[in-house]
This record gives sequence, C-alpha cells and structure tokens, in this order.
Amino acid sequence: MSAVGKVLKAGLSLCQSALFLSARSFSSGVCSRIRMHAIPQPKNIDRWTEKRTMFGVYDNVGILGNFKAHPKDLIVGPVWLRGFRGIELQRLTRKKRMVGDRMMATDRHNLEKRIRYLYRRFNRYGKHR
Amino acid sequence: MFRVSLTLCGKELGKRWSSCLAGGTGLPPNLRVVPNLVQLPRTKRLQPTDSSVPVLRKCDAVVPAHMKPQQAWVESLRNLEDDQLGVTELHPDVFAVHPRMDILHAVEVWQRNFKRISHAKVKSRAEVRGGGKKPWAQKGSGRARHGSIRSPLWRGGGISHGPRGPKSYYYMLPMKVRVMGLKVALTSKLTQDYLHIVDSLEMPTADPQFLLDLAQYRHWGQSVLIVDVNEDFPQNILQATASLKTVNIIPAIGLNVHSMLKHESLVLTLEAVKFLEDSLLWHDSRFTPLYPFRLPYRDFPKHS
Repeated sequence: MSAVGKVLKAGLSLCQSALFLSARSFSSGVCSRIRMHAIPQPKNIDRWTEKRTMFGVYDNVGILGNFKAHPKDLIVGPVWLRGFRGIELQRLTRKKRMVGDRMMATDRHNLEKRIRYLYRRFNRYGKHR
Repeated sequence: MFRVSLTLCGKELGKRWSSCLAGGTGLPPNLRVVPNLVQLPRTKRLQPTDSSVPVLRKCDAVVPAHMKPQQAWVESLRNLEDDQLGVTELHPDVFAVHPRMDILHAVEVWQRNFKRISHAKVKSRAEVRGGGKKPWAQKGSGRARHGSIRSPLWRGGGISHGPRGPKSYYYMLPMKVRVMGLKVALTSKLTQDYLHIVDSLEMPTADPQFLLDLAQYRHWGQSVLIVDVNEDFPQNILQATASLKTVNIIPAIGLNVHSMLKHESLVLTLEAVKFLEDSLLWHDSRFTPLYPFRLPYRDFPKHS
C-alpha cells in the first residue's frame, strides 16, 4: 500500500512538472525595456550648496529696499527676456527688435522665417482671421 | 426634530467649551497621527511675564487697541547661557497675522518661477540642415509621397511641436501679497518657536564650532538664518559663518519666504526687527501708487 502510494505521488509530481514544462506563457502587456541587474544606488544630492542656500535672497529687494531696484533686475538671461513673458511670436518679434541687428546671418534668416510662419498661422488659418 | 438638533448643538458646544477650559495643547481627540512621526524633545520656554523683566524695545508703530503686542525673549551671542536678557515687543500686524498658507504657497511658487528661463529648444523642419529637395517624384516610385527629408515624419527630421527657444516664466504677484507672504512667514516662525531675537551679532570668537554649539545648546535647529540690517557685519560672525553650510547670514534686504522656509530657525537683531516692522507696516496704510514708487514722492521714503 505504501509503495503504491509512493509510486502514485511520484507519478503526480511528474505529471505536474510535465504540465509546467508544457504550459505556454502569455504576456498581456509590454514588458519594461529597462532591465536592471541590481537595485540602483540612490543619488546623493547636497541640499546645502551655495546656490541652493542662497536661492531667493534679494527677491524682495523692492519692498524692503525702498524700491531702488526691482526683482526683475535680478533675472539672469537673454536681454529680450528679462522681466518679459509672452508667446513665441511675441518673444521672437521682441528678439528681432532688441537684438536682430547683431545676430548671425543664418540665425536671423531662421528667425524671420519663423516669425513669418507664426504670423500667418495665427492670423490667417482657423477661426481667427 | 428640533429637540434632536438642539441636543446635538449642545453636545458640540460642550465639546468646544471643554477644550477651551482644558487648555494644554488643544489637539482634537480624533486626530490621526502618522505612526512613524518623529517627535523631537523641544523645551517650550515660559512666556515672558510682565513683572521684573526688562522690556528692551517697544513697538514704534501704534498697536491697535484690540491687539496686544507679541513678546519674545532677547538673547545674545556672547555666551552660551545668555538667552534671557530681556523681552522685546513685536507688532501683531507683522508677527501675529492670520496664518495664510495659501499666500505663503503662492509667494514660494512665485519665487521659484519668476526668475526661471528655460533654454530648451529643438529645431523645426525649417531649421534642420537639408531637406529642400523633394526626395523622389510624386508618382510612380511606389513609395509614400514626401516633400522633404526633414519633415517631422522622418527620422532625423524636425520636431513640429517641441520647446521653442528660451522661454521665460516671469510674472509678478501684487505687492501687498508679497508683503503678506513675509508677514505670514514671520508669524509662523514666531508661533512655532523658531524665531529668536538677538541684541547684536558680536561674538567672542570667530570659531564656527562655537556657533554650532550655541545653536545646539539653545535648540535652534539644524539650520539657522541670521539677519541684520546693515551689510557691515562684525568680522567674527562673518568668518564663523563663511565655513558653515547650514548657518547663513544675510542683510535684512535679502529676507524672503524661501530662505525662511529652507532654514529651520531665524535669528533677527533688534535693528532688523525695527526695519522689518517699518517697511512691512507701511503697506497697510499707504495710498495706491499713481506712478511707480521708484520715482520720487514727496513723503516717501520717510525722512526720519
């Protein structure tokens, strides 16, 4: 009886392994293309660098400094964008006005092409004309 | 029905009244606390009492009759134990305003964004090199029809809706909102025991370790922002803070909400408190500007 039981159990395990080997695998989604062999190390960010510590200092130079300066004077960037915000056409026309005569030839040509394209796009197509 | 609502109202009023009477922290009993909350042992010093404590500074501006000035201990940087030299009065309209977290958030977001200029730019099909010639004839070759090899459909072609050029995110909040943001930040620092008043910035040594020991002894926190009115600081404190990352010193003109939120505690001198009260209270009772304030007005800046 015990021998028969052992044989039966062996047969069952064989059948299960055979079933497992013959089972087809399905994937219903896209596998992630990023394959990693180990959990990546977290990157150590220094939260107290000079730039991060002094961020925002002098932003209230107007209200605390008798309005001799304005916070927009603090902005570092291209001349035509300091203290100015606009859509692409406004930025490009402002750039052409302020800096156009000292731009390189190809850059100026591309700028003019883009302005022409945007002007026509906004004023001639669609609902607004 | 009325009896039920009356009993409910009575129960709620009873709960509110009992929480008033109990005093203490006044936390509601149904508060859900995160299980891994770190509660650092912080010693709350007793509020200064009126008797036999020297009031080193009274408010210059008139305090409205229905409000009392806030009080804070005046400390000193000369010794470790010099932390109760006297008491100073702080104007409630600067140091006890309503805790407007929405204004604080708006000012912090403004500080992060108004200076931002993003230089991301990609080439459009007109700017990518090449692509002027039609690659093959319109009909006959069996391939799809194309006009240029740099159209957005092609590999190596231009991007049709990409970021275009340096773009600025500049905007200004109304002046009074920025002023209110400063007041709310100062109020929050005072109510959370993170504001410390110092009589002057004189230190016995230029040793940075002395400052760190002082901050640790007086439970100032991990990071300290020291503010004084003029830019001529004593040499000792300049040398001490030069090598420290988390202890920083700025003139009062440079005070801002982001720095106050970044540093755990704020240390003001008495002159800095006077300067801040003067400049922030003026906005409560000024006329709207007919022309920008940087142009001369007869009575501004105040000729004292």
